[in-house]
Amino acid sequence: MQRIERLPANPRAMQPDAQVFERVLTRALGSGDYADAFYERRVTRSFRLQDGRIREAAIAVSSGVGIRVISGERTGYAYSEDLSERALLETTRVAALIASNGADAREVALPARPERAAQMYGPSVPERLRAEPATYVDLLTRVDVAARAADPRVRTVNATCADQLQEVVIATSDGRYISDVRPLVSLAVQCFALGKERGSGYCGDGGRTSIDVFLERSPEQIAREAARVACVNCDAVETPAGEFDVVVGAGSGGVLLHEAVGHGLEGDFNRQGTSLYSGRVGERVASELVTICDDGDIPCERGSLAVDDEGTPGQHKVLVENGILRGYMHDRLNARLMGTSSTGSGRRESFRSLPQPRMCNTYMPGGGSTVDEIVGSVKRGIFAASFAGGQVEISKGDFVFMLGEGYLIEDGKLTSPIRGASLVGNGPDAMNRVVMVGNDSRLAPRSYTCGKAGQFVPVGVGMPTIKLEKLTVGGSSLGA
Amino acid sequence: MERELELARHVVDLAIRAGAHEAEASYTVSQRFSTEARGDLIAKLEQSVSRQLGLRVFRSHAKATLATTDLSEEGLLGFVGEVVDAARFAEGDVYGGLPDALPPDASDAGLFMYAQDVSERPARAKMGDALELESIARAIDSRIVNSGGSRVADSTQLTALANSNGLAAAYRTSHASIVAAPIAVDGAAKVAGSYRAASRSYATLEAVGAVASKAARRALGMLGARKPATMKCAVIFERDVAAAVLADIFNAISAENVAAGNSFLSDRIGERVGSDRVTIVDDGRLPFCLGTSPFDAEGVPTGRHVVLDRGTLRTFLYDTYYARKLGSASTGNASAGGIGPNNFYLEPGERSLEDLVAATARGVLVMDTIGFSTEYVTGTYSRGARGYYVENGEIAYPIDEFTVAGNLTGMLAAVDAVANDLAFDQTIVSPSFRVAEMTVSGT
Repeated sequence: MQRIERLPANPRAMQPDAQVFERVLTRALGSGDYADAFYERRVTRSFRLQDGRIREAAIAVSSGVGIRVISGERTGYAYSEDLSERALLETTRVAALIASNGADAREVALPARPERAAQMYGPSVPERLRAEPATYVDLLTRVDVAARAADPRVRTVNATCADQLQEVVIATSDGRYISDVRPLVSLAVQCFALGKERGSGYCGDGGRTSIDVFLERSPEQIAREAARVACVNCDAVETPAGEFDVVVGAGSGGVLLHEAVGHGLEGDFNRQGTSLYSGRVGERVASELVTICDDGDIPCERGSLAVDDEGTPGQHKVLVENGILRGYMHDRLNARLMGTSSTGSGRRESFRSLPQPRMCNTYMPGGGSTVDEIVGSVKRGIFAASFAGGQVEISKGDFVFMLGEGYLIEDGKLTSPIRGASLVGNGPDAMNRVVMVGNDSRLAPRSYTCGKAGQFVPVGVGMPTIKLEKLTVGGSSLGA
Repeated sequence: MERELELARHVVDLAIRAGAHEAEASYTVSQRFSTEARGDLIAKLEQSVSRQLGLRVFRSHAKATLATTDLSEEGLLGFVGEVVDAARFAEGDVYGGLPDALPPDASDAGLFMYAQDVSERPARAKMGDALELESIARAIDSRIVNSGGSRVADSTQLTALANSNGLAAAYRTSHASIVAAPIAVDGAAKVAGSYRAASRSYATLEAVGAVASKAARRALGMLGARKPATMKCAVIFERDVAAAVLADIFNAISAENVAAGNSFLSDRIGERVGSDRVTIVDDGRLPFCLGTSPFDAEGVPTGRHVVLDRGTLRTFLYDTYYARKLGSASTGNASAGGIGPNNFYLEPGERSLEDLVAATARGVLVMDTIGFSTEYVTGTYSRGARGYYVENGEIAYPIDEFTVAGNLTGMLAAVDAVANDLAFDQTIVSPSFRVAEMTVSGT
């Protein structure tokens, strides 16, 4: 039953200490093979700009402990925002309901203090990063000025600047006891412009680092890019429908890898046999030009983690090498059930959610062609300069991704911008159609968030310019 | 509910003492349960009680918000102080502030938002339901050999709202849902299908057997799907994907997008923007429905608002701020994140979905869409899709890996048939409907 209690007497919602975690995990393990506790305290501060002024300041505080008990393939989970030992022991009892193997109680022992995960979020991150409100106000004001100055067609500028600090402590029944302090900053700008028609443009950047990142990647640069795309889209024509050769631009083109391949290689789908990539390690799943990696350890990228949400260090993984499937991405549960090791891919949205195998920063290394060679080889096709997002259906592998900026290619040259297009295809089929890979591989601006089973986590994507033969372009024009 | 209201009022007082001119606090306590079965195994069992506090403060009309789960006295004092201080850095305008008057009647009598059976049904019975969803789906056809998991989930929530104008009101809701997601396999082909039912009560929830068999049929029906030819033809949106189109319409109706110039419907009040089959309503007071509540996130009573009346755009949907800014009255659509739907739906027609198919010479019946980006500023619409090719009034064969594209303006104007299969199983819902012509892009 819902109830309210008087405010707890403990002065601050402090993280539990080693003894509390030991008692919680010992009780949890009384009925399972493995148990862990995930403490999180996350504070996000953000300011939003609209109509040329700071329209809103927001603070979000999320703190609590999630307790997981695993018994074979069964997982029990419960969480509590009340961090008292009494509440945590009750939460443990609920989490342990699923598992009843009657195993003897084993005492869980932890070190006195959690080990601090290796530092990888940039040299300038102070222990407790917290920018002054005036800093955000200044960044947003500069965005507004720069976007409006970029082009007289810009009518509306919306922007949000956010900075987040997530402290986590992970304690496991096998004695792992690790802490990490993860920053995440973002500056996202959307512009609307009015020319021949209305157009919208987006640009966002930031990363797992301090707000000082905007000293290098200036708010003016981000604002001008959003304004430029909005103005390009004012002149956009209807996208043609049908099959075309498609050139996917460097950087945000990595959304293609994330959807067409990445999700299908997550360990849970493969353990359960629900992915079309299940049981296909060692087989050809893409053109031999295609190599795909997922890295958790690139400093400051949105998808990077010193340790994942189960305490495993972030790693470099080769998923596909010259077209051959090399391996999956695992969290602890799926790795154990498949007889392998976690790849540091166990991630969760918050203490309220179970970990899942997830991508970190997914990208394709560069190949041998120049951009001019690639675009020049297309008689009639589409250039997908950037992507707003994408989605995939895991079992059959059909994906869609949505253009933020795109152009027609006619006789090897970019011509008219096109409006609101999406591209559809099937993962392995599309990856077999990769016929050229550019030498310009780079990571996209840091602005992507991935959703899976209702959990949203920050990720990175990257790609060189590539050419795919005959992909279905979802426009509305049937011309020629 | 008195104690939850007491906490909300306490936080309003803290904010006023910290220097806020106006303050509004909401306190929600939710109990959540979910379980997932795969095959004959209960794979997951999750249960928790969650407490969250939301605070909105104004200082000279400038706004700042706090959402926190740290309800310790020091946590509250510290963050309430910080958020009141942060409001100094926001720049207000005369439209910012709490609703003017106390709601005259925010009674929840007759709304039937809470069913006792949601918290009373034993966990063991819910786990049994999840296992049954799995076994029934697999028993339907030997080609159903796997699943993405069958889930039973429920929650009950208490929402208490107080503000510095003296508002103090609370209500309770419940929610139960079941979903089956079987996978059909034929040779190398794997096809997932899913079907979900949701209601305020277990008693009114669609039966486990019906949910499992609908999901199984969706998966089986897609086996052997091929890519259609690129063409212009009629497109029938089955009710789940029709609801997703309605969600796009909702975004274009939201006064926040209208004010930002991010809507193809800006400046079109009073104009004919849809066919005469298109009547769209937002109603927060439909008994038993999932979008029903006595008042919105600002305490403004919900009501019934006809948004499109036989094709004519009558109103946008407002919270207090955008109503003042655009010279209208709040429609009771304030949500924690901005402007949100109550029960937002397309009025159903007379005929069944089967009748719509039978009356279609050539077209596609869309069962699922993927993709989510719509340019509201132009109404440009494009989605990945799967479904069936329809020829001479009959379903000819399953199709996938294609897109349907058009423009929301053109789509609204070209709705030429609306089915009678409306069900309030989400907050934005729609019966199936047909658009006379759109572009299908395949081979």
